[in-house]
Amino acid sequence: MTELVQTLVFGVLVGGVYSLVASGMNLVFGVMKVVNLAQGAMLILSAYLTYSLWKAVDLDPLLLVLVTAPSMYVVGWATYYLFIERARTTDPAMALVTTFGLALITKGIMALLWGNDQHAVTPAYANRSFTLGSLHFPQAQLYACLVAVAILAGLYALLRYTWLGQSVQAAASSSDGARLIGIEVRKVRAAAFALGVAAAGAGGALLSVLYPFTPSSTDHWIGLMLSIIVLGGMGSLPGSVLGAVLIALAESLTAAYIAPDWATAVPYLVIILVLLARPQGLMGIRLREDMSRA
Amino acid sequence: MLRYSRGGRRTALFGAVAALVAASACGTGTGAGNDTVLIGASLPLSGPVADSSKPAYQGYKLWLAQLNKKGGLLKRMVELKVLDDGFDQNTVITNYNRLIGQDRVDLLLGTFSSKLNLPASAVAERNKMLYVEPSGGATEIFERGFDYLFFAQPSTSVDMPEQFVSWITSLPEKDRPKTAAYPTQDDPNTDVAIAAFREQLSELGVKTVYSEKYAPETVNFDTIANGIASTKPDLVVHGAVGADGAGLVKAFQKQQFSPSLLFQTNSPSLVETYPKAVGARNTEGILTSVAWSPEANHAGNAEFVRAYTNKFGTPPTEDSANAYTAGQVLEAAVTAVGSLDQDKLADWLHTHTVSTIVGPLRWDKRGVPDGDLLLAQWQNGAFEIVAPAEQKTTRQFVNPKPEWSS
Repeated sequence: MTELVQTLVFGVLVGGVYSLVASGMNLVFGVMKVVNLAQGAMLILSAYLTYSLWKAVDLDPLLLVLVTAPSMYVVGWATYYLFIERARTTDPAMALVTTFGLALITKGIMALLWGNDQHAVTPAYANRSFTLGSLHFPQAQLYACLVAVAILAGLYALLRYTWLGQSVQAAASSSDGARLIGIEVRKVRAAAFALGVAAAGAGGALLSVLYPFTPSSTDHWIGLMLSIIVLGGMGSLPGSVLGAVLIALAESLTAAYIAPDWATAVPYLVIILVLLARPQGLMGIRLREDMSRA
Repeated sequence: MLRYSRGGRRTALFGAVAALVAASACGTGTGAGNDTVLIGASLPLSGPVADSSKPAYQGYKLWLAQLNKKGGLLKRMVELKVLDDGFDQNTVITNYNRLIGQDRVDLLLGTFSSKLNLPASAVAERNKMLYVEPSGGATEIFERGFDYLFFAQPSTSVDMPEQFVSWITSLPEKDRPKTAAYPTQDDPNTDVAIAAFREQLSELGVKTVYSEKYAPETVNFDTIANGIASTKPDLVVHGAVGADGAGLVKAFQKQQFSPSLLFQTNSPSLVETYPKAVGARNTEGILTSVAWSPEANHAGNAEFVRAYTNKFGTPPTEDSANAYTAGQVLEAAVTAVGSLDQDKLADWLHTHTVSTIVGPLRWDKRGVPDGDLLLAQWQNGAFEIVAPAEQKTTRQFVNPKPEWSS
């Protein structure tokens, strides 16, 4: 029984971080129907930024979220105006190819700047745990999960209670309708894309403390993010939280009770099963393919 | 907005096609000229084992620099072309096909890990080219009846348990571990080694309480460590390949679980990165198996250590030494045969002994050498050889392994 509870604890803690990592990608898809394949590269870029800052200033890496998230917001904003907007208006498929290209370029730049060796941010608490009875709560995972939940709550409040957030929702629902009520859709889309990349910026800082990373880590994380938003529902922020926790739990339970060998296959199995059984995901809305979109 | 006219598009298209044709023409050249010998290799310079392959690449570079300083091979300067395979089997196949078919290299050197050498050696064999591999000791690599394949370490993965099991056998029965856990990365090299450990230790009465494989992409070891800790094994034998060795140790620390004996394949021999990853004091007592020791009294070894340290500013790792050894083997064969005839080179290696920094190597018809691996242990921040007796660098043996340092 203790092993089961411990496994669930690991799953929930990691799920919190997965939620933040996937929410940015889902936000971008929800607003502009663009699958940002560069999101994994942005995540790892932020992890490298955290590593360099941590080495330079020796601040707690989790606090560096306050630097990496705004920095990545700027990167996202510039990326939108330089590449995404143009590609998106040409052809939706072109946007996908563009983000894929951006991912490859970012990966190459990271390899040039930081090399291909594994990096990890290791604060003093990285290998410590809190103990409650026979249960262990790894400190790094616990702090990272709490920070992720706080950022997600902030993101949710921003989208729900601010003018920007309501504009984002209006533009996601109907860009023509949004224009009619005076919303500058172009700027709102840029802000939404930048917010999505900023979420990856925050996630990257947390990830850098939990796992070692190389430029090639982008492939693993983009696969994981895709499976989370497919499971939760593409475009649904609460869906990405639910999807993230379920996938993290599935990984932990698979490693503990089936075989560790299968744990890394879980996200990909989830994509196949969800697309077969419920293509809109757990919290997504099914739309008719022939329905015209604004 | 920039737009192409129809004519402009046609011109651009023509230009692109012309550029492609020109590029492709350049790529199908005959490789090095007659005044140089071109050697081709692929290495996982990016990806999860980049940490190990960088010192290996440096081992190749040092050997090449020394060789050219001596006048090269067959009175020709030697060039080395290395491609990055990212630790991907498909890419390594493409790379060796490219080196042979497009770059037309004169000689090949092997890549790293059994996972990559398994397909890469098949490409070399199909093209009837000599393939000296610095790593890749999985049994299945040598069971395909290949004629051009040679392993540049004293022994293969299946022999990894030899020294460790001998040491366990030497202990009084009451002091031997009673239970053991065997986590391993799903890899042809570690699979074989861990299966051999399990079989030999089971024969000694050591009960298996955990035995699971994990995927090479695994980065989160918390659940695996929890599963092992819950079985409370006296001994953990971990089939690690690269950074996964440190990953499991760190997960053990979070679980506050410290086995009395911990043996890991490969990872602890990364003398530069492993202590940094797990914490220098936490390496104390951790065991591994290696093909080479910087202290070994083999011809050229001390000079190799000195030259490598001078050139790269860090001491060589086992991977550096293995790559350098592969170069030595190739050099010996070409020098003795006096030509680049691949059949003659392979025949010569099958019938002669080569003096290297890992000791004298001679091979059976499968390309497997008949030497011994060494048992190494981290002690007081130093990487010491503790068996066999004639190669020991210390008399001490840390047993049991101390608890983790906070």
